[in-house]
Amino acid sequence: MTIVVGYVPTPEGEAALTQAIAEARKNNTKLLVINSSKGDALVDNRYAQEPEIQSIEDRLATQGIDHVIKQPVRGHDAAAEVLDAAEEHNAELIVIGLRRRTPVGKLIMGSVSQRILLEANCPVLAVKAG
Amino acid sequence: MDVWSSLMDGFATALTPMNFLYAVIGVLLGTAVGVLPGLGPAMTVALLLPVTYALEPTSAFIMFAGIYYGGMYGGSTTSILLNTPGESSSVVTAIEGNRMAKAGRAAQALATAAIGSFVAGTIGTALLAVFAPIVVQFAVSLGAPSYFAIMVLALLAVTAVLGSSRLRGFASLGLGLAIGLVGIDSVTGQRRLTFGQPLLADGLDIVVVAVAIFAVGEALWVAAHLRRTPLHVIPVGRPWMGRKDWGRSWKPWLRGTAFGFPFGALPAGGAEIPTFLSYVTEKRLSKHPEEFGKGAIEGVAGPEAANNAAAAGTLTPMLALGLPTNATAAVMLAAFTTYGIQPGPQLFSSQGPLVWALIASLFIGNLLLLLINLPLAPLWAKLLQLPRPYLYAGILFFATLGAYSVNLQAFDLVILLVLGALGFMMRRFGLPVLPLILGVILGPRIEGQLRKTLQLSAGDPVGLFSEPIAVVIYIIVALILVWPLLFKLIRRNRPAAAAVPTPADATEARARRADAGDHGSHEVHVHHSDNKERS
Amino acid sequence: MSSLATGLKGRAELGVALLLGAAGVLVFLDANRLSVPYSQSDPVGPKAVPYIVAGLLIVCAVLLAINVLRGGKGEAEGGEDIELGHPADWKTVLPLAGAFILNILLIDWAGWVISGTLLFWGSVLALGSRHYIRDGIISVVLALLTFYGFYLGLGIALPAGLLEGIL
Repeated sequence: MTIVVGYVPTPEGEAALTQAIAEARKNNTKLLVINSSKGDALVDNRYAQEPEIQSIEDRLATQGIDHVIKQPVRGHDAAAEVLDAAEEHNAELIVIGLRRRTPVGKLIMGSVSQRILLEANCPVLAVKAG
Repeated sequence: MDVWSSLMDGFATALTPMNFLYAVIGVLLGTAVGVLPGLGPAMTVALLLPVTYALEPTSAFIMFAGIYYGGMYGGSTTSILLNTPGESSSVVTAIEGNRMAKAGRAAQALATAAIGSFVAGTIGTALLAVFAPIVVQFAVSLGAPSYFAIMVLALLAVTAVLGSSRLRGFASLGLGLAIGLVGIDSVTGQRRLTFGQPLLADGLDIVVVAVAIFAVGEALWVAAHLRRTPLHVIPVGRPWMGRKDWGRSWKPWLRGTAFGFPFGALPAGGAEIPTFLSYVTEKRLSKHPEEFGKGAIEGVAGPEAANNAAAAGTLTPMLALGLPTNATAAVMLAAFTTYGIQPGPQLFSSQGPLVWALIASLFIGNLLLLLINLPLAPLWAKLLQLPRPYLYAGILFFATLGAYSVNLQAFDLVILLVLGALGFMMRRFGLPVLPLILGVILGPRIEGQLRKTLQLSAGDPVGLFSEPIAVVIYIIVALILVWPLLFKLIRRNRPAAAAVPTPADATEARARRADAGDHGSHEVHVHHSDNKERS
Repeated sequence: MSSLATGLKGRAELGVALLLGAAGVLVFLDANRLSVPYSQSDPVGPKAVPYIVAGLLIVCAVLLAINVLRGGKGEAEGGEDIELGHPADWKTVLPLAGAFILNILLIDWAGWVISGTLLFWGSVLALGSRHYIRDGIISVVLALLTFYGFYLGLGIALPAGLLEGIL
């Protein structure tokens, strides 16, 4: 069994990751970190760069959590990637971060988390930033 | 000719509300395309050529001037915030600029780049206004033999000095000259390379060629190699500089300008060499040499100033002699011809008001860039998130529209596709596109001068050497052609030991590779990439 | 990269040499075909420059072939939005070219509004967008705007084609 967390380098993403680590420790399960980009623009600030991934890697390793970090760029949106990963690894839980709605962010972030909530086949834990 | 009063008249023309509006549009558009990946000022001017047929030439050129300087500014913004230099001339800016941005000094890096560009652009334009008429005065005394020699020099210099493989440069030049031959020979009325196709009799429209090579070829090329790993753009507020930054910036600005302008004005100087020179100089003179490589403000200020001064310098031979030395200048020159304006030394006398309005608008554009772009920097950074499909589909759409609207012939679109495929192939196999464009533009003019020269001497080849200037230029041409061989000899006696690749070594390495005829990208050396490829 | 792929790449560049050579021969034959009597006012004539260009092309073709066979390689052009690590993505380029050709075939008959819409829509799809309806709407709006923009703003009448009388 696995816990899948959708990670983005934002406070919400960090909150989701922290929560997911706590869950993984509690249940002693494997943690799958998904950080994806559709890859259709030159710049995507939601796609974590090398140093960020490295620090997550270190953090998970020091906590002794069995983990995999994946950064798929296949032209799919983030929701599809998280759902795919959950399906593939037979996830027991998906953890996502919820952003407080701003008029602009609502359109993008809202639809991703909404789609995960609606389409996931396992429980979804939605976290807000501290 | 009184430079000052002509320039004031130019300002009067450039500051009429409509022309001022075009300057603003040009500056905004230029910055946008400079920031956007895959678009450059040369492509933008080419795409806009057909649209501007309906405009006054003066307004069109005022807009083009804005695009030219704006594109330069936009390019430096991207290289500072992203560390992916789009053009070779921003490679150096990317080194220190991106380090500064990563260290939380993006605002200062952008500010010194913008203000440095303004300083260098203004001084460079002033030098242009002073020197161009002098060059013209000298040039009008020259005859056909000298013109022929100067144009040969320009072609060979761009082909042999710029780019990393001379052989591939000459191949590209040959293709361009061949394209330039298509059509009816103006002297004898003979049809050349038309293959009985009446639509080819008028030759290939330069607009179609430029749009095909710069826009269609580029769009297809980028589409085939889209970057798969998204980058991060470093968040930035409004650029500003502290007192200390000013103190460390102003000298590099001036030195960069001094490097940039002369190199830009040379037939094959370009902006690449002066930016490297400026970087190396600043590193040597700096009181904080240990900061270089970690984000030294001098390393942004100097090269950015050199880059913009070179841009101004490039316009000197373009306006005074009708010789373009970079892609944007080449397309602007093509624009002159499509408006029926003959480029060359006569330009200042026959189109005085237009030329001076253009120069005045360069001053205005520079100021506008500073005023508009400093506060807009965060917005420009947002532009990078534009989804690619729209960007490249848009390029193809407007390229088609532009090429079609010239003659309203579907046949032109066939040419557009064929030459676009050629542009794609050239990018794939490392054939530089600039010699091709110069060959298309200058080829027919060179042939004209050659025939005029030999007509004067009744077919005697000695006529080619009948003017002292021509002889001097042929010596320079010979030196350019022989130089790599000499270089090889020198190198054999003194093997270079470049353990740590610095920009200086990279230039040197590049020169060495160029003369060996094989390749290596100097970008690779200086591009301290943080974006390792991931799944 | 495997040695086979490298070998193939080397051979692909020989195609460039072939193209240059073919262009050179073509220019030469075309110039050869011209028959011009010697004229005092034009001693160079229309053939000299084509001969020079043909010579340049053929010499470049030969030298390039030698260079490639000796292991020389053209350095593919980089750029901000370009990643050269992977081979050319023909699945994107060929549909793009297809959309372009479709436009050429349709523009005079169906008119710019239809062919331009298909061009933009097809290109966006080829480039990987999957918002079919939104993209379609954008395409139509763009084609209509440029049609009327050129007509009213620039006085250039793009072909109306099938929609003649409606637009």
